[in-house]
Amino acid sequence: MKTRNHPAVDLALVAVFAALIAVCTVVGGVELPFGVALTLQTLGVVLTGLVLGPWRGFLAVLLYLVVGFAGLPIFSEGSGGLGVLASPSMGYLLAFPFGALAAGALAALSVRRGLKGRYIWITLSGLVASLIVIGIPGIVGMSVIAQVDLVTAFIWNLAFVPGDAIKCVIAGIIAAAVNKAFPALLAAPQPAAISA
Amino acid sequence: MNKVFCLYVPGDSLLHRLGVGWKYAVMAAMVISGVIVSAWWFTLSLLAISVILVLLTAVPPRFGLQMSWALILVAVLLVAYQSFTGKPLTGVVIAGNLIMAVYASRMLTISTPESVLIDALISAASFLRVFRVKPEKVGLAISIMIKSIPMLLDLFTGIQQAAMARGRGRNLAAIVTPFVVRTVAYAQETGAALAARGLGE
Amino acid sequence: MIEFQNVSVQVAIPQAGGKNSSKTLLEGINLTLEEHRVAVIGANGSGKSTLLRTINGLVAPSSGQVSVNGLDTVKDGKKVRSQVGFIFTDPLSQLLLSTAVNDIELSLRAKIKNRGERRERALALLAERGLANTAEQSIYDLSGGERQLVALTSILALEPDVIVADEPTTLLDLKNKFLVGRALASLEQQLVIATHDLDLAAKADRVLVVHEGRIVASGVPQNCIDYYWELMSK
Repeated sequence: MKTRNHPAVDLALVAVFAALIAVCTVVGGVELPFGVALTLQTLGVVLTGLVLGPWRGFLAVLLYLVVGFAGLPIFSEGSGGLGVLASPSMGYLLAFPFGALAAGALAALSVRRGLKGRYIWITLSGLVASLIVIGIPGIVGMSVIAQVDLVTAFIWNLAFVPGDAIKCVIAGIIAAAVNKAFPALLAAPQPAAISA
Repeated sequence: MNKVFCLYVPGDSLLHRLGVGWKYAVMAAMVISGVIVSAWWFTLSLLAISVILVLLTAVPPRFGLQMSWALILVAVLLVAYQSFTGKPLTGVVIAGNLIMAVYASRMLTISTPESVLIDALISAASFLRVFRVKPEKVGLAISIMIKSIPMLLDLFTGIQQAAMARGRGRNLAAIVTPFVVRTVAYAQETGAALAARGLGE
Repeated sequence: MIEFQNVSVQVAIPQAGGKNSSKTLLEGINLTLEEHRVAVIGANGSGKSTLLRTINGLVAPSSGQVSVNGLDTVKDGKKVRSQVGFIFTDPLSQLLLSTAVNDIELSLRAKIKNRGERRERALALLAERGLANTAEQSIYDLSGGERQLVALTSILALEPDVIVADEPTTLLDLKNKFLVGRALASLEQQLVIATHDLDLAAKADRVLVVHEGRIVASGVPQNCIDYYWELMSK
């Protein structure tokens, strides 16, 4: 089927992936100390960027946050509204859209360049997004809300690094497989149909 | 079909009848002022108010005021850490704000039906006109997202059960990969349905 | 009237290393469809769906031209889509909002600006089809047949001249198949329907058999259906 970049398809991808993040957050999760939940939420955010590419990924995560902030219980533990802003994990949450943006941009770049070992590059894109683009604002947020210095927040953050890294490796495996099924999503817009 | 939004409790309390805008403003004011003022007496006052607000929704207190063990653990750890560094009152502020904010948000979600929250959000989106974003498109995206959540939750559960049947229920990639592939296909079909109806262009 | 002029559809399949190969989905289609009810039959992957989707421009031909009432489906895509209503196989993808009445209101949005009026009209349209009780229900709580009928009502609310339906009864049980089949048969509009239900195809005015991207038979239903039987049982 011709996957023309129809604006309606873009809108649907953004809306449906915002729902996907909500579902990833709601389905079973493990809780860790310091108010950060080891749900599939981060996995969903990184995956959204890796699968949809930077802009659609950014908008999908932004939509998820906006609907959650509006009060629908789609944040971890079935919470919604602005309550999460008083949680030490607020920095991570607010950085999510930029994480998806970075993951998508880096992954698209590596796919477009036709780099070998696609899986490795996609995984690395996810790791950079998760540990740096989401991680640094996460540390700052923790420092502000929990009123500790940045070094302490950085050390606390280390507790999540192994879990997040594992999730990125899994996200990389998944995104590489999805990219095979729908190559046009990440690759540069190309003439989808070849004239006979 | 799975029920996703199970927090709203139908009722006729004062808060149920209060406009969604007012409730939202109260929640926002409490959360933001609590974090900014950051004084133990202020946070404890807000905490008391938030408990009263939850009780005013007339839901059973055990349901309205319940907290997950994770939340309690975080609160205890924060108080313990700040006490250890000689600032027990700071610990009280942080933990108090954390719990107060959860209750203030819960007051809104318990007393407001999802459809009202969504309608309010969509009408709030009209300010986006300033940025040359079509509010109708944003509204459509929000509606499609909400519509898709039960669908995707069912899809996920179905795939999880199929994986368990093959003894791969613990393999995250084996579950999430088909889930995402099917989600993309569903999104593209939704996009085609939108285009076919002349929407979203 | 729907016209296909030498229509071919190819898609690019990106390969590792940046090269693309291409796959032909439709080839050399020349058709003029004037009959009230046209049924398209063919195996899965034969090109039925692609053929239908070129009629409202959801798929653009790689070469050749498709036109509906003289309008090019690519150049005048938006106009064509406003004249061609499309029914999908799975009503859960087709229905965009959570309740039946909301979905129909969405279709009416362009025509009726007043909210109250729009709702009234949506409820009236549902009632006309005997679906009044479904109005406020979640689409997930409806039966498959009800969902497909709501989808049909939603499309008819757009007042199209042509209805294109892509296997609208494939997911339904026998009872709902009859229900939806009857609703489609009673339409005043021209109907182009892809189906695996040969009884449904037999009731059409004309049948097209699609095989490997080509029209291999076209004409009186029974002849085409017999030909299809023969082709598939080889």
